[in-house]
Formats: sequence, structure tokens, C-alpha cells
Amino acid sequence: MTLIPVPGRLVALIFFLLLVAKNNNCYSQTIVKQENQNEKNFLVRTKQFNEFVDRFNYKVNFHGDSADSEFKSKIPRDKLINSLFDLKDPRVDPNNERYSKKYVDEKTEFISEMILKNLSINKHSGKIIAEARSRVLLKGTPHVISIFLSQEVSGNNTVKWVINDVKGDLFNFFKSDTSLVRFIPPSSNETDFLNLKRALDDTDHLQYYSSKDYCPDYLSVFYYMINSKLIQFEYTEEIIYHIIDIPGWFIKVKEFNRNEMNSGWLITDIGKNTFDKFNYLKNN
Amino acid sequence: MVKKLLTIVLATAISLIASSQTKTAVTSKQAKITDEINLSPSDIELFKEQTKQKVEEFQQYIVTLGNKNEPAEKRNMAEKEALKLFYNGAQMEITTIKPDGSIQKINRPMEKYLARLKSLPFTKVIIKFYDIAYISEFTKGPDGKYYSTATIIQEFTGFTNDEIVYKDVTKKEVEIIVDLVEDKFFNEKRWKIFLGDIKATETKSTETETKSTVLK
Repeated sequence: MTLIPVPGRLVALIFFLLLVAKNNNCYSQTIVKQENQNEKNFLVRTKQFNEFVDRFNYKVNFHGDSADSEFKSKIPRDKLINSLFDLKDPRVDPNNERYSKKYVDEKTEFISEMILKNLSINKHSGKIIAEARSRVLLKGTPHVISIFLSQEVSGNNTVKWVINDVKGDLFNFFKSDTSLVRFIPPSSNETDFLNLKRALDDTDHLQYYSSKDYCPDYLSVFYYMINSKLIQFEYTEEIIYHIIDIPGWFIKVKEFNRNEMNSGWLITDIGKNTFDKFNYLKNN
Repeated sequence: MVKKLLTIVLATAISLIASSQTKTAVTSKQAKITDEINLSPSDIELFKEQTKQKVEEFQQYIVTLGNKNEPAEKRNMAEKEALKLFYNGAQMEITTIKPDGSIQKINRPMEKYLARLKSLPFTKVIIKFYDIAYISEFTKGPDGKYYSTATIIQEFTGFTNDEIVYKDVTKKEVEIIVDLVEDKFFNEKRWKIFLGDIKATETKSTETETKSTVLK
């Protein structure tokens, strides 16, 4: 394996570097090397979700290099995991009215279990669910929906993200009404289901004409709406990772965009979990 | 006459269907070939090193093309060279957090972003990059290419007559793609690093918010 730039590009690059060298005296801009407070903050900040997983697994130091014994002796794993929590969470501040002893105890139990059992997160686990809170336009009006994605690893170790599910008020188009009993009568079959017309005209309450096992598949509804141009995808506003890869627990991770060391991708919530992926998505 | 016309239409339709089928077949064949070529861990380490250089090269071009003191010729060349680092169709997405906490996102093709950066309405611009670049591990995609993300931090200061009128710090996530490309000069296939889409998020705005529109 080699990596050689094509000759034309090489010539252009040399020419550019010569120009840079020639005009070096009038440089008012640089790639900064000295450290300032901003730089220190960004160094400690968990810059990517990938970095979050590496730090959680005690694999890298703050420079992204392998965590060696010197680093490990300075920063024990429990301290590193604790630094990956949002430390501004009101639930961990005893002076805040939203302080929760239950959450603090659960957090302590979680960290202890990670250390005791030496648990880690599998970076390409299918049990890492990315919730992409996204802006879509429905007939020109903006709506926020959640698109849930997870990673799929194929036999030859290639990885891709796939869409698992979608949620949003947009899809709750059925209305509840218990004042009337809605059904297709038992003798309808003998009249070639003439009642179907009546049932399907009741557009807000179609769910009552379905089986008791009926469960709407919003992803197919979403694909249909996109395909028929009923809605247009605009952009992703925010990502929240739901990690259910660690047995017995769920972890929620999101990006905290603030200029301090405890920033970037941090744990925003943890809790006990007994659901598999399908049921976790259904219940969250 | 009608029969002849129908024959021509039919033949054209068949050739169109055949050509689209061939394209699909070639694509899947290529995907199969690249699927079988894997980079060794030492190759990946080497690419990580080269990615750092590529990102630094991009940073240097940005610094140059934003610098109003540099000759136009050099800034134009920096713009041209910077574009060559990117995969075709790469986009820049800029996220701004408005004072009310709402998010605004603007998407631009990379060439437009670079052209705008060159012509910002400031008399002087200082762009600094922090000496932090986090590069994630390379992961192979189903198309046989290897993917990673580099994070860089940029500090931007815009002046009008020696007065700071705009300052921000943005975090940039740069998609990195390692692709097997044909090198016509050496007549062989080589792995090459490209920069892909960039997601830029403003992390701290220290000056007048309204002036920020000039960067969008």
C-alpha cells in the first residue's frame, strides 16, 4: 500500500509551499501551538461519540492516545467514568431542588459495577441506538420527529447505520373516542362488506376497526410520506444515543455544547433496563 | 412505416434497460472487489498519521485564503488546492445556536463555503486552529471504503479598521474517506485520503450576534 500524490498535484503543492515560504514575513495568521484555556477545555471535552466510548472503555487518554499505566495511575477508571456524566445535572447537586438521591445512588452503583465487572461498550454494537431528532416539513409546517438508527455489521466487518424506527406527534393522526362503539358487524360478510365504506370514511378512528393486535408501523408510514412528498426531511437538530449494550442498564448520551471541561458527549441519564432493543424502542 | 417506428422505439427501450442493468452489474462487481481488499492495522495507523497531515494541510489553506494580507494569487491557489482535498459533492453544514436556544442550520457546497470565506466583509481576518485534532478509528463501509471523523477547533476573529467586530470558536467534524482510486500516471490502484462533509458548530460567540450572519 502506498500513498503518493499525483504529479500535477505535487507540483501545485510545491508551488503553494514556495509561495507560503516567500510571503512568510507578512503572516498574521497561524495554527496555534500554545495552550490557552479554550484549548484546555477542548482537549478535555469529549469531542466525538467515538471518543466517549473510548474514554468509557478506559482505552484512550485525553490526547486520544492509548491509555498507558501512567495515565491510569493518575486517573482511575471510576473518576474517568464520573467525568463522562453531565456534572451540571440538577439531580446530582444537593443544593438544587431537583436533587435526586435515587439517581445519585444509581449512578454510584452503575460506576461500581462497570469497575467491578470490567464492563465496556462495544463500539459497533447493534444495541447502540442513535435517536436523530430531526426537522421535517409537513405541508410547509416544521415538525420535529425522532429517527432511530443502529449499526449493522456484516460478515466481512463492514459497518453501516440502518433506520430502525421513527416517532413523532406527526404520526399520531388517529383520535381516541370511546363515546361510540366502532366495529364492522358480524354479518357484513354476507353483504359483501358494504359496511367497509362506512368504516373507512371514519378517517380519524380507523384503529377501532382493526384487530386487537394492531400496532401501527410508523416507519412504513414515514417512508410512504417521504416517497409521496407529503413531508420533506430538512436536517437533524440533535442526536441522543441510547446504549443498552451493558446488561441491566440503559445509558443516554448527548452533546453539551458549552465552553468548559465537562462538555461534549456526556451521559445525560442512566437507569435499570430489562428491555431488548425492540421493546426498548417501543417503550421509550 | 408504423412497424418500423415501433421496432426503433422497442430497440431503444431494450438498449436503455440493458445499459442500466450493466451499470448496476459493474457497481456490484466493483463493490465485491473492494469488499475483498482490506487494510491491515499498520496501514490504518499510517492512514491515521496521513489524515492528520491532510487535516493540517486543509487548516493551512483556510488560514491563507481567509487572510486579507495575502496576495490574491496565493489565496486563489489556496482555495483551489483546498477543494482538491475533498470528495466530490462534499458539503459544509454550519450550526448556529440563536440567543433563544433554537438551532439554525445552513448547508453549502464546499466550493461555495470556501469562496465565501475568501470574500468576507472584514478588513482583517484572523483564523487560528487549536493544536487538537481527534481522529476516530477507521471503519470499513459496505462500499469497501474506510471512514473516520476528525475534530478540529477553529477560532475566528473578524476586524473592521483594527476593531474586533466578530469572534467565534467553532468545532468542526470532518468526515475522512479512504478510497481505492485509479492512479492513471502509475496505471494502478492506490488508497487515497479524501475529506468529506464537514459539520461546523459554533461553540462560543463573544461578540455581536447579528454580525454572525456574514459567515453563513
